[in-house]
Order: sequence, then structure tokens, then C-alpha cells
Amino acid sequence: MLCRLMPVLAMISFTADNALATQGHGHPAGLYAHQMAHVFFMFSMGLLIFWLRHRGLIRSAGWRYIQYASLFFILWNADAFLVHFIEEQSTALDITRLSTWKISLKAPPEMQWLGYVYYVTKLDHLLCVPALLFLYIGLKRLLRESFDQSGGIG
Amino acid sequence: MNASSLPIWTVDVIGSVCMIVLSILCLHVAWQLQHRDRSNIIWTYLFWVCTALTVFAVSRSAGHILKQILIIGGNDATWTAIRPFSSAVNSFTFVIVASFTLFFERTWSIYQQISSDKQDLQAARDKLLYLNQNLENLVSERTAELALSEHKYRRIFEVSRDMLLVAEKSGQIIDINPSGREMLSLPGTGPSSDYLKVQDFFLDPSGWQPILQIIETDGFIANAEIELRRKDDSRIRTLLTGSLDRGSVDNDDTIHFLVKDIEQHRLSEEQIAQADKLASIGQLSAGIAHEINNPLGIILGYTQLLIRHEDPQTEKHQDLKTIEKHVRNCKTIVEDLLNFARTSSPKENQIRIDEALDEVVKFVHQHAALDHVKIERNYDPSVPRMLLDEKKIKQVFMNLIMNARHAVDNHGTLSLSTEFRPAERRVAIRFADTGHGISKKNLSRIFDPFFTTKPTGEGTGLGLSVSYGIIKNHGGDISVESKVGEGSIFTITMPVVSPQKGYQNAKRHSHRR
Repeated sequence: MLCRLMPVLAMISFTADNALATQGHGHPAGLYAHQMAHVFFMFSMGLLIFWLRHRGLIRSAGWRYIQYASLFFILWNADAFLVHFIEEQSTALDITRLSTWKISLKAPPEMQWLGYVYYVTKLDHLLCVPALLFLYIGLKRLLRESFDQSGGIG
Repeated sequence: MNASSLPIWTVDVIGSVCMIVLSILCLHVAWQLQHRDRSNIIWTYLFWVCTALTVFAVSRSAGHILKQILIIGGNDATWTAIRPFSSAVNSFTFVIVASFTLFFERTWSIYQQISSDKQDLQAARDKLLYLNQNLENLVSERTAELALSEHKYRRIFEVSRDMLLVAEKSGQIIDINPSGREMLSLPGTGPSSDYLKVQDFFLDPSGWQPILQIIETDGFIANAEIELRRKDDSRIRTLLTGSLDRGSVDNDDTIHFLVKDIEQHRLSEEQIAQADKLASIGQLSAGIAHEINNPLGIILGYTQLLIRHEDPQTEKHQDLKTIEKHVRNCKTIVEDLLNFARTSSPKENQIRIDEALDEVVKFVHQHAALDHVKIERNYDPSVPRMLLDEKKIKQVFMNLIMNARHAVDNHGTLSLSTEFRPAERRVAIRFADTGHGISKKNLSRIFDPFFTTKPTGEGTGLGLSVSYGIIKNHGGDISVESKVGEGSIFTITMPVVSPQKGYQNAKRHSHRR
């Protein structure tokens, strides 16, 4: 049933035209929603760090690693937000694919540094992979602590 | 500037693969945690967060890998078509992760509450289990403890020398200890069957209500001095302390009393006060007597000188004789006062008390009407010979016998008895009469100088004072018990003094007592 519905739903989604009864969402709306989602993710991770520290949970190694994971998620979100901004909202940097393995980054002479910033921030997996790694270590420690202290969570 | 996109491509592809692997590993560990304790809300929470993160990581990483493959394959247009969908899924999944994370604090609070409740329940369950397994032993132990406690407090109740009494607020006695029964002269049976009330034993029953009012208001009363009437109608002074025991729903309030007999204490206080008073009067009397004695001697001397040169037939001679007679009376009084004040040392003679008593009785028989007075003698043969001033002791006996004769009004019984108390090395001499007795208000004054109940001219009021002084001068004591209409008992106790020690030692000993 779901298999039959999927092509129909995809067609409706990709070929939808403006409906008179509803508000139209142009191209920037998706970008704004995505950027807002990044901001929201950053906020929620910041809040998690606050509560972990406020409740004194970071005395446990498991929760301490989860705190580090949250910190790296914040950094990754900031990085991703910046990349999206440079790529799609700012006109300061002109990015062109020259070939399969070559790109051109053109910025005004006074903003040459923007090319380097963009290049570095494109390596965002250097932040989100450690975040997941810390989360994994944290969960493993919690699991071990739950074995050590039967019934507790560290 | 131109740059190689290879590092970006490499990090992107490898990072995406790592993201997929790590997120799945996280989900697996979270699942293990949740599986370990399904009731733990925190593990459930982490499992859902990891699920959302995995969805996010897989969708995003798959999108990135697909993008790189499509671009390398030269299918940029395809990627351009797919990209919004991939981006939307990414946005959607990490919004979900962020939304879950927002509930962390609330989830943690709930978890703590559940943990606390769980611990309480566990403790209650353990306790119940323990009680269930050990109920019989616990009941036995508790019963033994209660029995021991009951025994302990019962013993306190029974052996207390003070009265312990439990009563209802109406005054109805519920329980009373043996000392209380003895204090009130009650028989040994339970008072509840007799329906006795506390206020029945008050000399003044109206005193009960104020006491009850204080107990109800303050919850207690402390050291209220109450005079009680015993079953045999005698009276005792007591200190009453009581506290209210507010009963449970099914029980009425009760009052617990502690009653202390202070009769002996009060009597001792009164005796000390009496002795102090008489000692003060004695000092005053001695001072006055000394001052008056010398002028009286001079008056008497000159009067006798004048009489010697006067014709006995003259009126002047008669007048001088009258002066001489009254001066002699005055000297007698002064001498009595000095005896009362105990200023002169007694002359020591070895005498037998019973013989001295008999001689005095014989002398009184000869000089006063004792025909209708029955005299009973009960002498203790073990009384030893005593070192006394015979003349003065006989004077004391004379005073007491004459007083008894006056009390019985020549019709009654006078009992004379002696008793040797070896433990105390003292001899008691009793003069008991069946006369009219002495009223309570006069009882404390009978040893005062010049106090008399006889009509004017019949007594100087110095007899008992002098007797008191003489007995004290011998290191002894004199006391009186009397009931109006039944008679009086004067009791003299004297120390048995060895000739070597003499009276002064005995007196010192007497003062220390």
C-alpha cells in the first residue's frame, strides 16, 4: 500500500504548483527552515549541557562524554550554519566547480580570507564525527556503570 | 583562488560512512541499556534520542554520499532534484533530536521521582518481608519487653514510699499503690470496689475543684500542700503533684498523682521553731532575771533588817512582813526564770527514775487531793541508774503530775511509765492522763513562760517552762501529744550518761540532734 502511495506522494511534492488557498513557499523558505533547525539544535544541545552540569551528572564519566558530544554538536551546527550562509545567502564568495576535483573560490580582494574559511568549514565531518564518537563512548560508559551499580545509571 | 576538492570529498565520504557506523553503534548501545532495564525512563529517553540521531545521520550521510557519487558521475542535475528532499529530511530529523533533548530535564526529574518512590517501595517491601518472616519472633520479643517494662514500672509503683495514685477526672480512684493505702489507712482490697474518690480524703473537700481546674488548664499541678484525712480520722499534711494523662479516643483522661507525706517534716520544723523561740525567750528571761535578782536581794535584806528592829506587835512590822513575803515570791519567779533559761549547772546525783517518780507521787498524795485519781505505774526494770540533778528532776515530775491532776480535775487516770531504749542510750518517761486535753492552738505555746490556762492567781505559767529548761539542761527532750477530750501524753527522753562524761557532753549531743 505504502509502495503504491510513495510515487504519488513524490509526484505531488515535486510538481506542486501555488495553491490559491495557501501561502506559497519559495526557494529561500527551505533554507531558512534548515538554518533555524541548526539554531534550534544548537540551543537544545546548550540546554542539555546546562542541565547536565546543573544536576551534577557530569561527575559520572558517561554523562561527561555525552556533554562533550553536545559541545561538538554545537560546533558542528555553527559550522554548518556558516557554510550554508556562505554558499547560499552571501554573494561575497563565488564558488564554481572547474572539474571533478577542482573548485574555484572567488572573493573580493579585501575578503580573500573568506575562501579559506569556506574551505575549512566544508570539512564539517571533523566536528560531527567526534560528536557521535563521544556519544558512543558516553553510552558505553553508562552501560558499564549500570552493570557496576545494579539499578543505577551513574 | 582555485583549490582541490579532493580533501573535501574525502572527509565528506569517509565522515558520512563513520556517521552511519557510529550512529548505528550508539543506537545499539542505547538499545542494550533500554533492554537491560525497560522500566528506566532515562534509558528509554536515550534510546529515542539515539534513534532520531541515527535516522538523521543515515539520511544525511546517505545524501552526502549520493551527492558525491552523482557529481563524480556527472549527474549534477539529478542531485539538484534530490537535494531539497535530502535537506528537508535532515532538517526534520535534527529538529526531532533537538526536540527530544529539550525534555531531558523533565525526564530526569521524573526518573528521580520514580527512583525515590521505587526505593521507598523496596524498603517497605523489605520491611514487610522481614516482618512476615519474623513476625512470631518479633511478637515474642515485644511481649517479653512489654512484660519486663510492665514489671519494672509495677515495681516502681509498688515499692515507692510515696503515694502513687491514678484517678479519673471525677476523682474516682482507679489504682493506688501500697504506700498510698498505708498513708490513707485503707484496707488492702481494691479501692475501685469501694468507689472511693480522691476528694473524700481531703480535709477540706472544696480544695479538690481548684486543683482539678489547674490540672485541666495547665496539664499539671506541682507541690500543692494538702491536708488529708485518713480513714482512721487522723490528719496528715502532704505535698500533692499531679499531671493529666490525655487518653486516646477510646479512653478517658486520667490524672496521675504523686503524694508525699510531709507530716514528720512539718512537725520537725515546728519543733525546731518552738525550740528556737524558747531559746530566745530563755536568753531574754535570763537577762532580766539577773538584773532583778540583785535589787530584790537588797530589798529583802533591808526588809529583814528592819523587821529585826521592829516590835512584832506593831502595824509597821506587819507591813514589813508583807513586803518580805512578796519579795520572796518575786525571787521564786526569778529563780524559776533562771531555771528555764538553764543558766545554772545541774548537781549530779546517781538516782533511779522509778524511785524518784514514786517519791514525788507520795509527796503529792500527802499534800494534795489525789484520792480520786487512779495512778498506774509501768516501770521498765532495765532502766539503769541515771546521773541527774535529783532536786530539779523531781521538780519536773512534780510539775507534770500536778498538771495532770489539774487536767483530770481530780477524777481520772494518770499513767506513769518508763522505757529504756538501749540503741539510743536514752530513757523515755511518759506521763499520760485522761484529762480534757490541750487544744491545738495552745499546744505550741504550753512551754512559753507565763502561758497558763488556769485562772489568774492559780498558776504563774512557769511550771512547764521551768520543766522544759531543766530537761534541756540535762541534754533531754520533752514533747507532748494531746487530743481534746481524750487526754495528753508528756514524754521526756533523757540520755543515759556515764558519771565520767557528765551532763555537758550530753547537752552538746542533744543540741546537735
